[in-house]
Amino acid sequence: MRTKKMVPVMRGVSACAASLLVLSSFGASVANTYRKNLDDVFGTTSYVTSTDADSARFVSDYETVEDMAAAAKDISVREGQEGTVIMKNDNNVLPLADTNQVALFGLAAYAPYPYNAGDFKGGNDDAVDLVQALEDEGLTINSTIKDFYVNDLLNKHEIVTQNQWTGADETSIGFDYIYNTTVGDMTDFAITEVPASEFENLGLESDWKTKVDKDNTVGICVFARAGGESNTYGTDTAVNYAGEATGEDPLKLSEDELSVIDAAKETCSKVIVLLNTGNAMMISDIAEGGAHEVDGIAYIGCINDYQCIGIADVLTGKVNATGALTETYVTDNRSIPAVQNFGGDYYADAETLAANAENGYDPRYPKTEISNESSASSFGGGSPTYSAGEYIVEAEGIYVGYKYYETRYFDSIVNPSYNAASAVGATQSDSWNYDSEVVYDFGHGLSYLDYEQNIKSIEVEDKVDGKVKAVIEVKNNSDQDGTFLAQLYVSQPYTDYDRKNDVEKSAVMFLNSAKVFVEAGQTADVEVEVLTKYLSSYDYKNAKTYILDDGDYYFTAAAGSHAATNNVLAAKGKTTADGMDAEAEGTASVWNKSEFDSTTFSIENDVPVTNVADDADLNYWTGEDTVTYLSRQDWEGTYPINYNKDVEITIADSDKAEQWIKLLKGQVYDIATDDPATEGEDKGLRFDSESIGYEQLENVNDDYWNELVSQISIDEAIGAVIHGGSQSDTITNVDNPIVLQNEGVCGINVPYTDEETGKTYHFNVSSQTLLGSSFNPDLAYEWGLVEGNSCLWVERYQLWGTGLTLKRTPYNGRNYEYISEDPMLTNKIGYGIVLGCTEKGIINGPKHLGFNDQEHNRNGISVYMTEQKFRETDLRGFQGALEEAKGLGIMIAFNRIGPTNASAYEALNTEILRKEWAYTGIISTDMMNNMYYFSPEGSIMAGITEMADFATNDNHINLGDGGVDGVWPYISEKTVKNDSALVEKARENLKYQLYTFANSAIMNLSTEKVDVWWDVLLNTIKLVSTIVLVLGVAGYVTCSIVAIRRKEEM
Amino acid sequence: MSFIKKQSIGIWMEAATLLLGIISFIVYSVNIAGAGYFHGARVDMAVRCGVIGLILSAVSIVLAEIPLEGIASKLVIMLSDCVRIAVPALFIAATLYIVSARVEGFAFIYFSNEEVLQEVQTAANLSSAHGAIANIIILGATALIGIIGAFFTTKKKNVL
Repeated sequence: MRTKKMVPVMRGVSACAASLLVLSSFGASVANTYRKNLDDVFGTTSYVTSTDADSARFVSDYETVEDMAAAAKDISVREGQEGTVIMKNDNNVLPLADTNQVALFGLAAYAPYPYNAGDFKGGNDDAVDLVQALEDEGLTINSTIKDFYVNDLLNKHEIVTQNQWTGADETSIGFDYIYNTTVGDMTDFAITEVPASEFENLGLESDWKTKVDKDNTVGICVFARAGGESNTYGTDTAVNYAGEATGEDPLKLSEDELSVIDAAKETCSKVIVLLNTGNAMMISDIAEGGAHEVDGIAYIGCINDYQCIGIADVLTGKVNATGALTETYVTDNRSIPAVQNFGGDYYADAETLAANAENGYDPRYPKTEISNESSASSFGGGSPTYSAGEYIVEAEGIYVGYKYYETRYFDSIVNPSYNAASAVGATQSDSWNYDSEVVYDFGHGLSYLDYEQNIKSIEVEDKVDGKVKAVIEVKNNSDQDGTFLAQLYVSQPYTDYDRKNDVEKSAVMFLNSAKVFVEAGQTADVEVEVLTKYLSSYDYKNAKTYILDDGDYYFTAAAGSHAATNNVLAAKGKTTADGMDAEAEGTASVWNKSEFDSTTFSIENDVPVTNVADDADLNYWTGEDTVTYLSRQDWEGTYPINYNKDVEITIADSDKAEQWIKLLKGQVYDIATDDPATEGEDKGLRFDSESIGYEQLENVNDDYWNELVSQISIDEAIGAVIHGGSQSDTITNVDNPIVLQNEGVCGINVPYTDEETGKTYHFNVSSQTLLGSSFNPDLAYEWGLVEGNSCLWVERYQLWGTGLTLKRTPYNGRNYEYISEDPMLTNKIGYGIVLGCTEKGIINGPKHLGFNDQEHNRNGISVYMTEQKFRETDLRGFQGALEEAKGLGIMIAFNRIGPTNASAYEALNTEILRKEWAYTGIISTDMMNNMYYFSPEGSIMAGITEMADFATNDNHINLGDGGVDGVWPYISEKTVKNDSALVEKARENLKYQLYTFANSAIMNLSTEKVDVWWDVLLNTIKLVSTIVLVLGVAGYVTCSIVAIRRKEEM
Repeated sequence: MSFIKKQSIGIWMEAATLLLGIISFIVYSVNIAGAGYFHGARVDMAVRCGVIGLILSAVSIVLAEIPLEGIASKLVIMLSDCVRIAVPALFIAATLYIVSARVEGFAFIYFSNEEVLQEVQTAANLSSAHGAIANIIILGATALIGIIGAFFTTKKKNVL
């Protein structure tokens, strides 16, 4: 009987063991795929890196972590010192005297944006907020108002949430009343500033006004506008404190905010407003002549851990104010040409872009219905679509920001026939007027100390790789030593040739800037350089290359774009009598180009420069002049209409409809079936320091690299590219180290914990906004070095560590990540950051090339433009980092350029990056979250080296059911092995990637996978369950047989 | 009634396994058919494992009800027992296939950056995620019941 009873026990044990075996075996596979994520969750380290310090090419400049943290803090403070922009300073309100008392108004005064640690903020224990920074400067802060805001309104508290998976407690900061940090996707935006009328209802004592010593108190009001990934402000979407839609612009100071300012004005002798945001706001109400005019206005950007120290240094005059505006502040955002085409909408016949029985199915996805819909955001859902239905036309061309306002102003004086003064585009009166439309210009920033800047000499090397070398003389007219900002601008000739061929020229163009220390009453020279090629313009219609017009080039040093324009106008003999709004503050130096030149800059890195992006122009597809791009030769006739509402774009009407639809559906490349690829063969080469010498590091085309990648199997060549996100895995026959990819637009977001003290350091303490408004490429370079050093400390070597997309409009929710509306300021700051990182061997890939200038529908919207805009706006902004600084990485935009996914756009990734710019670094997609939108074969052929999926240990294409790819089922070894070009292109892309690894700090180390505790646990379960299963089955069989025999015997 | 009374605990456990398996399949179908993040996100291997598990579970119940004698009876019992060992393993495999396919989606929905949570955590997406979690839990429970059931005989009267 005992044996018989053992039968079900053995069966049960076997079932249990079999299940555990499946669980542990399959579980190990799943865990391995998400190893990086599990490491993050469990705090384990699966990869041990060892660095041979003696032979390392890249080592930290800091011996201790305290030194490293101090260096990061120093940059952070200097960003505050150099980036704070004094926009208005009347009645000597600034700098604050140490005898001043200060009354802080506004929720952001006590909780500057951003307040939670994360992607925007380090979160170090010793972070300094604005209140503390001002108190540390010796200022007395009014306690009545402070107590009200801190205790009655904000009531700062920790919000503890439980991680749904690990169960661990996670804390964040919360407040009872706080400004809105969720912008949303072009939806209603509540401006939640508590109005003054609510103060007493919410706890402020009724006699509070008597507790402010008005005569000796300066009121400081701080207002924030937040940002965020996937967020875009909508026009006229503001909602007030009471929850009512006001129909106002969300970037305009609200009535509730203005009531706070009025309360400050009533109770304080002078009032300053601080703008705490990455988005240019509409502030004419508080500027000169405004109904709520204040004494001072300052821009303080988005604040990280220590910037407030520097901001307070500026507000108290401890340092001179040297920051300048990176964007134009306008009276009404509706006057911005780019805003006329913003957001986007569907093609008239967008339904033809769906795959279905009516339209026909996609041959890659037989009998699969695929929607044309554009999801609201990249995170909007898991149902893949072509995301092809919507488009936008950037009809403003090169006239973004000040380039529009200054050029139109210039033409209103110099070229009356251009209709600059017409009503079109005017928001304040019946005719367009600069001073009515612009509140503060690009480059504007007041200095406490009186100074002058003038060009002492200018040299233009009119040749390939030549430079413009300006010596700017800065004269300190004050009785104090101080640092000053010098800005270099140029005004190019706008010729008959340009007018004939639609080559657009901005009246003034920022070139570069520098800071210089000058003793009181003294003069100092500062050299400012820029490559001569940036003087050239792209002629996409006639010469189809870069041209340098003949004529006079006016160079000027000025404190802002408008002063620069006036300097040029004055040099041309114009005065206020001609309509100038002020006399010139400085002079301009002329360099004459005697002959039209379409050859010098038509070759770049030995590659002919010619049109590559004709298909980015909507007119290319419609076959007619559907779009009229903004041209200064007729401001009235070319001012942009809305190409979504005012024009109907019907794809089917196009002669190129078939090709247009193919590209919109991501059918960028047809995989060949008749050209067998060569299978990889192990030739004994490996990615190691013994094999990679000087020649290999210098030359990506060295035989070693070609031979190395020829060893990669077809499966892995394709798989490693199309599943290259999250981490780059070790490739069979190559043995490259595993490289983790990291976020960190404000610095690497991986903390460092000192094992001895247990103290955790966060090195992501930079502020992109303040780095931009510092106008100081040298500071950007210093930050780049610090960012690179910090990566060495945390042993992470690839990060997305800056954002260089242009601020095309003020509405992009991600403007806090970017530098400026201006390509050249972005170019020079990006150059500094990336050069610093590259010198430390860190792959710092800027985001997101190119035209990813709105988050709304970023994952799929078609962005149409001329090739002049293509080259002279976003691309120029990235060019300094990628071509000049020889950056090692780049993240491509999420959107389309023309109808083609930017990641599959060969014109961008191969023709421009690889060929014209001779760029040899990594090219990554943005987040690969939509299988139908992203084309793996198209991306490979365009030159992408890694598609940013989330899994790791997945560089194969046979991980899906039946050996097909796990994401794209039409991709399998069987389908790609007959396309030699595709496989070889994948190998070439990996060659660039491995070459980049070799030229980075990755070569410092070797990576070894170790078993962490959960590996051991899973392996133990696997082993034990196997043994138990074998024993259980054996026991079951034995017991069954014995039981049967016994029964027979009975 | 006598038929029901005749059934052993093992049969009831197998029936529970079968029922839960069917429910999990329904939940899965509703989840991928409904709006939200996992709309249309089929996991074919999970379905295959689950369907085979359901079939084998049903087979084990049917085999237990077949009145056989002699060597045939013994062979059927051993076959049934092998099936009952395999069934929970198949449901475990189905569970893991679902988990593997849903991990990234869960990460999107629950762990996206704070500023995009409003976009991500839509009612449809949360409902879809909850459906997927329910699917995983029920599949796991199916496997667990199958394991426990394997400890019990499906014959009320011992035929050995």
